Amino acid sequence: MADDRRAFRPTGEEAAARTTTKPAVLMVGADKGGVGKTTVARTLLDYLAAKNLGARAFDAEFPRGTLKRFHPKITEIIDITAAADQMKMLDTLASSDAQISLVDISAGLLSRTLKAFTDVGFFELVRAGELNFCLLHVVGPAVASLNEIGEVMNFAEGDSYFVVKNFINETSFFDWNPGTYKSYFKNTKDVVEVNIPKLNEMAYEQVELAGIPFSTFIANKTAQGQAANHSLVLRGYVRTWLNQIAAEYERVGLLDRLLEVR
Amino acid sequence: MPGSNFAFIVASLHGRSGKTLLARLLADYLILSGPRPLIFDADAVERTLCSCFPYEAIVVDLADVRGQMVLFDTLAKPFVEMRVVDVAHHSFRKFFDLMRDTDFVEEAKLNDIEPVIFYLVGSTPESFEEGRQLRERFSDCRFVVVENAHFATVNDSVRRSSGFRALARHDLHMVMPSFSPIFADVISNPTLSLSEVLSQPMSLSDGPAATVGLSLDARTTLRGWLVRMFQEIHRITSLLEEPADTAVADWD
Repeated sequence: MADDRRAFRPTGEEAAARTTTKPAVLMVGADKGGVGKTTVARTLLDYLAAKNLGARAFDAEFPRGTLKRFHPKITEIIDITAAADQMKMLDTLASSDAQISLVDISAGLLSRTLKAFTDVGFFELVRAGELNFCLLHVVGPAVASLNEIGEVMNFAEGDSYFVVKNFINETSFFDWNPGTYKSYFKNTKDVVEVNIPKLNEMAYEQVELAGIPFSTFIANKTAQGQAANHSLVLRGYVRTWLNQIAAEYERVGLLDRLLEVR
Repeated sequence: MPGSNFAFIVASLHGRSGKTLLARLLADYLILSGPRPLIFDADAVERTLCSCFPYEAIVVDLADVRGQMVLFDTLAKPFVEMRVVDVAHHSFRKFFDLMRDTDFVEEAKLNDIEPVIFYLVGSTPESFEEGRQLRERFSDCRFVVVENAHFATVNDSVRRSSGFRALARHDLHMVMPSFSPIFADVISNPTLSLSEVLSQPMSLSDGPAATVGLSLDARTTLRGWLVRMFQEIHRITSLLEEPADTAVADWD
């Protein structure tokens, strides 16, 4: 166990070189499918790229990852339940060129993954200040989501945990009544919510069809960087939407959490 | 820029401003002077411009994303044809919000399309103020202040308003001359091709069907009005073909 933990602690030289930055892990999870978890992960990768922050992604939707389809060059598919793949990810945290590792956790595996990470000492390192960690928990509109939140929150410090409400399809949230809400969050500061706004369905579909990052669609390029022929109007909708999301990430100080220095 | 391909956007804040007439005249001017233009009627309710050009005008409903795509995607494309858009006054906000959010001006210019806003002022301070804000919002777009002399002139208090004064200083102004009420019916007949009135030779008896019943005198006067209108349009388009003067009057 002790060896495992040391595996992702940087060597003396590396530590010296990285005195001002720490590796960061950005986990995006959901406890059920269809809430838009991978969509959120895609917006995060675009946000980090826009901020010129090196990021790599682990698509834990083994064996066929959706995230990898959109960001093939920076995404690796892993089986998050397999110890070998866990180590592959965690071992390279300190040595990777990418400062931020985004992990897209399969729906339904969030709690299990968090537990597995605890077992390998990941959260001890976070508490020790060796790693920065953020968890974005994408929730659905039903009351059941509250149960998920309660469970998951145990794993993350209050200020690195974000509940993401995805309004992309204009689903109406939420059945949460104030009493229930309070009983779950009474032990922490107010839960920080991130709202993903509505996006026109046609615009979203076009990006899906093109299989490219949102930012590439906006720039009217193909995956290979050639000029594309996407609709001006739909590009405008996606651009506005992505800008609103970036404003949300700014508002909640996501980058501050990820880039905290030693 | 010489040889520019224009996208004429005709708008006014309030209805009954002469906007559709101007759009029609611009379309007729383009018909007389080059390949047939693309004509967009963004008033899916009234469809007046469409009834004037039934074979080529495209009606778009801006309430629908597909309609928005047909309009703006096409307006910015590098086709050879010039374009005219009649912006329904009830879609005024929607149209210009879309124009801004899609970065239409930038994309059009990349494709060598020069958008030009023809903004018809009315007689209220709001219409001048709206024009001033529109010009500021689209400082990257050519802008023509259009006054329709057919309607009431502005009173002194409007003249003192900041919107009026700001637009008065603007470099491109166009005046639609007023016309006699006897022509109102004739001109408002959508089946009358105004370009045909000008291009067909005058004769004592023949003439477009809509002008039948007009005396020779009246028909001459109508042609005279059309000639002045087209001369005014020609003057403006010639000015537009010159590079934009970047040292335009202060916006305040």
